[in-house]
Amino acid sequence: MSKPNDLVQGTLDLLLLKMLALEPLHGWAISLRLKSISGDVLQVSEGSLYPALHKLEQEGWISAEWKQTENNRRAKFYSLTRIGRKQLESEAANWQRLSSAISHVVELSEV
Amino acid sequence: MRWEHWWFTASLRLRSILRRTRVEQELDEELRFHLEHKIEEGIAQGLSPKEARYRALRAMDGLEQRKEEMRDMRRIHWLTDFLDDSRYAIRSLRRTPGLTASVAFTLALGIGMTSAVFSIVDAMIFRPYPVPHPGNVVTLVSTTQDNSFDYFSYREYLDIAGKTKSYDGVIADADMEAVGFSAGPKAIPRVKGGKLVSANYFHVLGVEPRLGRGFREDEDRVPGRAAVVVLGAAFWRQEFAGDPSVLGRQVRLNGVDFTVIGVAREGFPGMDVFGHPDFYMPLAMARVFSTNREKNFFEDRNDRELNISARLKPGTTLHQAQNELAVLAKDFEREYPKLNRSRGATVHSHFQMRTRDDDINWKFGVIFAILALSVLLVACTNVAGLLLSRARTRTREIAVRLAIGAGRFRLIRLLMTESLILACLGGLAGIAIGYGVVEWFRTFKNVVLMTDLPTSMPFRMDARVLLASLALTLLSALLCGLVPALQSTRTDLVNGLKSADGDVPGPKRLWGRNALVVAQVSVSLMLLTASFLMFRSFESSALDGNGFAKDHLLMTSFDPRLVQYSTAQTQQFYKLLAERMRKTSGVRSVTLTQNVPLGQDGFDSLALVPDGFQIPRDRENFSSTMDTVDEGYFETMGIRILRGRGFLASDTADAARVAIVNEQFAKHFWPGADAVGQHIRLDSSTGTPVQVVGVAETIKNQSTYAPADFVYMPLAQHPIPRMTLMLRSAGDPLQLVQSVKDVVRTLDPNLPMLDTRSYAEYYRNQAVEGPRIAVKLVGSMGVVGLLLAIAGLYGVVAYNVSRRTREIGIRIALGAESFDVLRAVMGKGLMLVAMGTAIGLALGFAVERLMNSMVFDSGGVDIVAYLVVVPLMFLATMLAAYVPARRASRIAPTQALRYE
Repeated sequence: MSKPNDLVQGTLDLLLLKMLALEPLHGWAISLRLKSISGDVLQVSEGSLYPALHKLEQEGWISAEWKQTENNRRAKFYSLTRIGRKQLESEAANWQRLSSAISHVVELSEV
Repeated sequence: MRWEHWWFTASLRLRSILRRTRVEQELDEELRFHLEHKIEEGIAQGLSPKEARYRALRAMDGLEQRKEEMRDMRRIHWLTDFLDDSRYAIRSLRRTPGLTASVAFTLALGIGMTSAVFSIVDAMIFRPYPVPHPGNVVTLVSTTQDNSFDYFSYREYLDIAGKTKSYDGVIADADMEAVGFSAGPKAIPRVKGGKLVSANYFHVLGVEPRLGRGFREDEDRVPGRAAVVVLGAAFWRQEFAGDPSVLGRQVRLNGVDFTVIGVAREGFPGMDVFGHPDFYMPLAMARVFSTNREKNFFEDRNDRELNISARLKPGTTLHQAQNELAVLAKDFEREYPKLNRSRGATVHSHFQMRTRDDDINWKFGVIFAILALSVLLVACTNVAGLLLSRARTRTREIAVRLAIGAGRFRLIRLLMTESLILACLGGLAGIAIGYGVVEWFRTFKNVVLMTDLPTSMPFRMDARVLLASLALTLLSALLCGLVPALQSTRTDLVNGLKSADGDVPGPKRLWGRNALVVAQVSVSLMLLTASFLMFRSFESSALDGNGFAKDHLLMTSFDPRLVQYSTAQTQQFYKLLAERMRKTSGVRSVTLTQNVPLGQDGFDSLALVPDGFQIPRDRENFSSTMDTVDEGYFETMGIRILRGRGFLASDTADAARVAIVNEQFAKHFWPGADAVGQHIRLDSSTGTPVQVVGVAETIKNQSTYAPADFVYMPLAQHPIPRMTLMLRSAGDPLQLVQSVKDVVRTLDPNLPMLDTRSYAEYYRNQAVEGPRIAVKLVGSMGVVGLLLAIAGLYGVVAYNVSRRTREIGIRIALGAESFDVLRAVMGKGLMLVAMGTAIGLALGFAVERLMNSMVFDSGGVDIVAYLVVVPLMFLATMLAAYVPARRASRIAPTQALRYE
């Protein structure tokens, strides 16, 4: 049982928004993609994925639609909304600022 | 962005609430879709289906927990929890129907009384003008040293309207006056209410007539040229059955034909609280109506008969408008030093006008509101006590809930939901009670508003009052629920689970309950004090200075302006009227007076300078209330002349001017000297001298509370158009009505008789019954408060006794006398009552001071009131404690020890 730590928790929203900005996806596809792009570094439990998606949906950042998958099964596809795109921009900018600040600190050469 | 966000999420929440099952299904389906894929993936990797399934579920970290987490994300928990709590609360309340009913009834009394009283306060103070954007309609008043709410003259109105820049329009109107209305030229005129208004009146207020049109500017420019009238909506429906063809028709007002050009809006009954004009006429037609004949309305800057209102320009503050008008008033003072000396002007908001200092009605409203809120407070504390006792029987249940992991906050919410439901029951019943009380108020229309003019009681149970009731309901839910909820969730778990009666002995538990009783006793003592004080001051006001005659008097008023009489014609009419009435059989004496004592109309005020009295430097004159009467007045009204003489037939217009003052006036201006023979000068120290020829007994003319300085002038020397005929009869005064009608018909068949009544009845309604309504209202609050306090104290002592039954039994078994037990149990109650009484006395003094400063001019403390109220309260509450204490002293030890 690995509860993602706070940093990861905070960035999960960002990852999901970014992923959905590229194309609408259903939950299973998201979980596969999460694993392939960051599986070794970030441990995102499948269990915490769905609550996170629901939260984003309730915030109005992503919207859901039931559609057929390629092999003809009904699945809930999530896609980014207009205000979600704004949210993504602001969160991405935040992340940039934070990570550059931290790397700046980390790269300070010890004397 | 924010708005868009809100819109988006609101629809999602709504979906989660309204389509709960659908949303749940989708949740399941989505997770199943994921699991199936995961299982397929596992099988493809070579796991058995069972293993694959197990792995898939494990990856989820507990399916049900996740689902619950996702439900939390919907943010409608508060609602679903609330619904669950409500269902549970209703079930548990239904199990104790008696308690539920009594709690709901107690709250209903408090909420009902308060909402009914709020309807008074709202009508008197808060209800906005019935026009669009009522908030920026302000009122302009002229101010002098004696009168902060004086009227303006027509000339001043034109100046103000022309020179101010703060407003989107300045309007003027005169007070509603009696108008003689006849539908055709032959018909005998009937009395209706008419209002003179400036041409822009409807336009500036934003209430253009519903039918036809408002006045054009040119109809208000030349005096007497455009005889046009706008009808009030209610009058139009009554008199013309809502016929739209009334436009263009002629109606006769005060003997002059007017053309109907419009009908006012249904929702615009006028700007006043009580009166609703039947007619609106342009100011230019003032000559036809009841303006001062002696003065020239259109030219005389001292003929002050107009109210001025205005609509503030957007962005202009009241303060800016006030400054502008103050400067203008200074200009007036410079330009007309004689007329406008020490006269200022200011601008008031709607609220400031409604809470004007010289109006007593709203002050009563505020006092009623304070008392009604106190009743509600007593009711809430009472209910809180009942709920505490109820919580005691549930200690076990609450302990179990806490033990299996319910949060304290969650339990408080559950208990608060219960009190909310109780309060809602009480609120519903309270609205019914409030509705009844408001209807009861309205039945007093003919007592409070005795006039032939169109008026109505403004109190009603409207949306605003209902909203207030809702707020009161929520407030009482909080007041009566919070203490029990906090206290009963503080249970000691171990003890709570162990014993059936899980009440933990100790001071902390009882503290809240005792505080509640002290609060009840003190607030209801205050209520009783207030009602008793009010009763006493009305009694004394109804007795002192009211020694004049009231019985066997018929009153009826005339206004010959209604048929266009000149001053000479008017004088002749009154002379003949009095002469002929004197000769009528059954008439003992006859008099004419401008106003009757303690009537509805205000007396005129007279500006004067008494000779020999040092006048302060900053003053031009003094003002006194006055009445114009004829020679029979003092005899007919039974008012004694203490010195000098009454008026005589020889005090004619050609004779030297004379006046009679009341004793208070004489003592005020000529202390220690004889007033008879002194002179007063009218308006200023260089004005017309008038000799005082008599001093009359001081009576209360204007207000029942305090008599005032008063001057009487003879009608022959001070002609007044509108006079009231007073007839002293041998028998029933109303039997003289026909004789008066006959005499008036011989003089002028077109002249209507106004406000024909028995003076005794009029006086009773105005000075006795009206105030008595207030006493009844406040008295019933006092009684309700007392009953609730008695019930509360009884509850607490009884509760104590039942809690200590076993202990008392042991004491008795060990040899305690029943008297000792009685004393021990009563002692507690006694202490609570004593504390409540002390606090209640302080509250009582505070409320007495408040009432004195607001309505009754008397200072000082009414000791008698306290001597009656305090022992009464004490006795009643002691009795409430005695009954259960006596029961305790009779406990049989064998029974008590077997108890439980």
